[in-house]
Amino acid sequence: MQSWRRRKSLWLALSASWLLLVLLGGFSLLRLALPPRPRPGASQGWPRWLDAELLQSFSQPGELPEDAVSPPQAPHGGSCNWESCFDTSKCRGDGLKVFVYPAVGTISETHRRILASIEGSRFYTFSPAGACLLLLLSLDAQTGECSSMPLQWNRGRNHLVLRLHPAPCPRTFQLGQAMVAEASPTVDSFRPGFDVALPFLPEAHPLRGGAPGQLRQHSPQPGVALLALEEERGGWRTADTGSSACPWDGRCEQDPGPGQTQRQETLPNATFCLISGHRPEAASRFLQALQVLAALQEMSPARVLALRQQTQFLWDAYFSSVEKVIHTTLEVIQDRIFGTSAHPSLLWNSPPGALLALSTFSTSPQDFPFYYLQQGSRPEGRFSALIWVGPPGQPPLKLIQAVAGSQHCAQILVLWSNERPLPSRWPETAVPLTVIDGHRKVSDRFYPYSTIRTDAILSLDARSSLSTSEVDFAFLVWQSFPERMVGFLTSSHFWDEAHGGWGYTAERTNEFSMVLTTAAFYHRYYHTLFTHSLPKALRTLADEAPTCVDVLMNFIVAAVTKLPPIKAPGGPGPRPKPPAPAPDCINQIAAAFGHMPLLSSRLRLDPVLFKDPVSVQRKKYRSLEKP
Amino acid sequence: MCASVKYNIRGPALIPRMKTKHRIYYITLFSIVLLGLIATGMFQFWPHSIESSNDWNVEKRSIRDVPVVRLPADSPIPERGDLSCRMHTCFDVYRCGFNPKNKIKVYIYALKKYVDDFGVSVSNTISREYNELLMAISDSDYYTDDINRACLFVPSIDVLNQNTLRIKETAQAMAQLSRWDRGTNHLLFNMLPGGPPDYNTALDVPRDRALLAGGGFSTWTYRQGYDVSIPVYSPLSAEVDLPEKGPGPRQYFLLSSQVGLHPEYREDLEALQVKHGESVLVLDKCTNLSEGVLSVRKRCHKHQVFDYPQVLQEATFCVVLRGARLGQAVLSDVLQAGCVPVVIADSYILPFSEVLDWKRASVVVPEEKMSDVYSILQSIPQRQIEEMQRQARWFWEAYFQSIKAIALATLQIINDRIYPYAAISYEEWNDPPAVKWGSVSNPLFLPLIPPQSQGFTAIVLTYDRVESLFRVITEVSKVPSLSKLLVVWNNQNKNPPEDSLWPKIRVPLKVVRTAENKLSNRFFPYDEIETEAVLAIDDDIIMLTSDELQFGYEYFNYLYTYKMPGDIKNWVDAHMNCEDIAMNFLVANVTGKAVIKVTPRKKFKCPECTAIDGLSLDQTHMVERSECINKFASVFGTMPLKVVEHRADPVLYKDDFPEKLKSFPNIGSL
Repeated sequence: MQSWRRRKSLWLALSASWLLLVLLGGFSLLRLALPPRPRPGASQGWPRWLDAELLQSFSQPGELPEDAVSPPQAPHGGSCNWESCFDTSKCRGDGLKVFVYPAVGTISETHRRILASIEGSRFYTFSPAGACLLLLLSLDAQTGECSSMPLQWNRGRNHLVLRLHPAPCPRTFQLGQAMVAEASPTVDSFRPGFDVALPFLPEAHPLRGGAPGQLRQHSPQPGVALLALEEERGGWRTADTGSSACPWDGRCEQDPGPGQTQRQETLPNATFCLISGHRPEAASRFLQALQVLAALQEMSPARVLALRQQTQFLWDAYFSSVEKVIHTTLEVIQDRIFGTSAHPSLLWNSPPGALLALSTFSTSPQDFPFYYLQQGSRPEGRFSALIWVGPPGQPPLKLIQAVAGSQHCAQILVLWSNERPLPSRWPETAVPLTVIDGHRKVSDRFYPYSTIRTDAILSLDARSSLSTSEVDFAFLVWQSFPERMVGFLTSSHFWDEAHGGWGYTAERTNEFSMVLTTAAFYHRYYHTLFTHSLPKALRTLADEAPTCVDVLMNFIVAAVTKLPPIKAPGGPGPRPKPPAPAPDCINQIAAAFGHMPLLSSRLRLDPVLFKDPVSVQRKKYRSLEKP
Repeated sequence: MCASVKYNIRGPALIPRMKTKHRIYYITLFSIVLLGLIATGMFQFWPHSIESSNDWNVEKRSIRDVPVVRLPADSPIPERGDLSCRMHTCFDVYRCGFNPKNKIKVYIYALKKYVDDFGVSVSNTISREYNELLMAISDSDYYTDDINRACLFVPSIDVLNQNTLRIKETAQAMAQLSRWDRGTNHLLFNMLPGGPPDYNTALDVPRDRALLAGGGFSTWTYRQGYDVSIPVYSPLSAEVDLPEKGPGPRQYFLLSSQVGLHPEYREDLEALQVKHGESVLVLDKCTNLSEGVLSVRKRCHKHQVFDYPQVLQEATFCVVLRGARLGQAVLSDVLQAGCVPVVIADSYILPFSEVLDWKRASVVVPEEKMSDVYSILQSIPQRQIEEMQRQARWFWEAYFQSIKAIALATLQIINDRIYPYAAISYEEWNDPPAVKWGSVSNPLFLPLIPPQSQGFTAIVLTYDRVESLFRVITEVSKVPSLSKLLVVWNNQNKNPPEDSLWPKIRVPLKVVRTAENKLSNRFFPYDEIETEAVLAIDDDIIMLTSDELQFGYEYFNYLYTYKMPGDIKNWVDAHMNCEDIAMNFLVANVTGKAVIKVTPRKKFKCPECTAIDGLSLDQTHMVERSECINKFASVFGTMPLKVVEHRADPVLYKDDFPEKLKSFPNIGSL
């Protein structure tokens, strides 16, 4: 009886465990045997094929390469691309040479001034035979002067038709292979990489110079409307951050009505402006559908700040005058011709821009004074002293010794520019000394001599006197500001009400806007800029009135950097007053630049303990404090 | 003893009654049950981790098992590719509306095998590369398996190589995809377009509005801003491991490694070799290789045998010539070797040229100038060549190396078009990591003289020293350029004085109360700051004469709170010190420039402070500040501070000059 009960319980236990086993084990076995059903909601990716290893490659060795056939020809007779429609063989030598068709008959004042501006530029050549690009200005239809087919047309090959304003003349001839530069080209007619898209210019756009950007404050301001919409008939409507954006379900039907809306005629004070091309009425729809507001709200203030600065830079570098627009167009075409030696993107997109950073100087951003930070590099620690010896022609022995004593001096160049014969003996110096026999022209002082091997140049006049520690300290300052001029003697410009023009003074004042190049540090790139980018007329002006050359150099550097020069302590103590430049010089230069780039500064950079009441022993540049 | 007896009595009482057979039977049964239970238990509880991983979830199937779809001969064919398509005309952005975080979602159609009426297959089901490509998309953030929420659709029909498919039938297969809708928002990948004899430069399969990511586009077939130009993948990349070779001069100046070139081109190249001797090397197929040697991996010049692609590392420039097709896989090999490609293929759209700046990594020479190649290349300065070599290798690593890299770059480009405001910048696409780390992009990059009219905002941080505070306020308010005064009241236990008690000044005065006593509160970007220039001062300073100003920028205030690595802010708040050093670090780090010291002031007078009260006086304070510097340097990873030896003074400062003619005569008078 007992044993039976025992056996019964044993069987019970056994069968129970079997049941458990079948239930649990079978379930997992089932799961192993059958392919798992994807659980709903779980992401199911591309399957891992069991036989993925056996798959064949898309290209079998042996299939490639094929036999080459003749080059593919353009399928569309009329369409052009750079290779097929532009003949670069005429463009050898130094850069783009442009011939402009002279105007026929009576032309408008604007037209005449634009022609004059191109003729004065570095691109211009007077012979159509030597030109690589022939430029046809297609300006205003109002005068009724529609250009007829030019002489050297040749189906438009190597031609650029420049349309600054819309409403061009009715076409009297086929454009053919000519490039077209115009505002708002249509997608259908625009040939990327061949035509050039221009900004839409108002009639009254300044020819030269142009006003700087209008943005007064770069950092985003709280409480200013985020977005302004362009409306029909030229009005503006502002949309605020508070407005609710509708969910992005494609076609939002209800009108979300951007928060406060107000109509105004002038450009509103808003962070972003929405411009919707030809159809302003599409703007509000666009706003609803794309949730522009939401996207803009997400944007970090840092990015807004960067964008705002970039708008100002682009405006100032390429858009603010007709001349800049034309030069930018020519520069774009020149970059296509240059190929590998074209401007790198960095030069186009960061200050001072491609018009002022010449690709003929270098294509490597590190060679320019503007991009050390972006490149993660520093200006090198040596400089070349360039001593100009004009009349009366005394070899500047003392000056050479003082400069050669600087630990940063790499070489000394003496530019002998007077009628006296070259002395045969020069003092022994620790650094190499080279004598260049100049052409007796003042503009020689800023010629990019290939013998200059350092980035920094210390430009000196034989009559200046400097001490070694003045040179050392000023060079250290230059290393912190490699794009600016660091000088010792200063002068300033001012607006002379009495004469209605600019005046010049070398008096000691609380401000200055120029440093004299008779003793100044600057980057060697400015020599290239001086020689190759200035209109010829300005260089001639400098040669004719030698004292003007200082002003001119300061104009160039200020126009490029948009910053004033820097004054370092020192320079000749009881100095002979430098001869003032010809009174009209500054006005002529300002007219040629189209604006006044000079800026005033109230700073002088001194050594940290300069003239402080501490022990002389603690000071590094003691001799600077001697009167 | 007793127990054993009991056992002896009981045990035999049960066991002997069973037969030996039964005993074995029971024992086996028990052990099986026990083992089974243990195994099940393990299965139940152990494999959870495996289950949650992807492998478990993904189908494990053979490609032979994919469903077969029969295409009737008269099923519809899409229109030919529409050459006028642009994103705004042929792409439906509204379908991307469900995608959060500015990221498009991509759906991949399930793999099917297509056969015609006679059961003959339309194409190879799928190639190894296309399988990899779809796998890469499926593993990426772009993937979605919800067809209704997808913005972009990728068919699993493999069109990488046009030669392996039947054009009409493939097009029919496309047309019957469930969301085809004239090909809108569909993306096709093709690397080898065209076929003999005329080799079109884009896929010949009619595809209507579908986007094409193609290798070998020409300017005639490429729809700018719509199609994506991709590289022709080189399978060698996966097989060969070429270690990176640093930039610098190499044995050969110019090398041509392609086989099967057009005889005219080969003549031109050989003429170059004759003219320039050793520095030019023109390689060809090997004719006399022994059996078993892979001819793909060898190149010959006369009887000399070279290993390919290793030989590419011996050359500075490598020619990439057009074959029958414009896109050549050799471009990928050349980049991998860090050899600068010289692309001679007129009208070729270089891979990813929408975002990659090929000027930095290659030289493009028109075909008609082939005989001048050598002189063109020689005019490039050595420094630029080295930058190009580095850039070439970086392009390969980032965008050519694998099918995955190609697929993700393609999707990123399309993503950037749909969310242009969140697009990746030029620098991120093009700058090699070394440049990205080494360079500083100054957030205030525009040369700018702060506008005079705007003035500056003064921020005074105070705890409770009211008397001193009022004196500071009175003094600062005398400065003409001041436009607003902001007092940061850092004491939570005490209310700021009544409005009427504050000194009367000519500019708006605003008191901000803080939630916690933190020194970092000084650098919070308060909405009240409306000017770009900010003057930060302590309340324990009997201010400078009103001529003396110290400027920071509002922008840095913003950075201090939001961009400062977290550790530092906490550290400052904990130690009640060094917030000024942290600010200096930050400014130096973001601008890459040194700060400017203005005026000769070294000490600020503080009449109320005792040695305990004024934080900056005793010796331990200096020790702590050195600690700060070490700590901050380790958090920033570098030492961004720069040492300069200059200080800004007014032009005529301490010059031998009549004082009354100077602009700021009061400087240094206290």
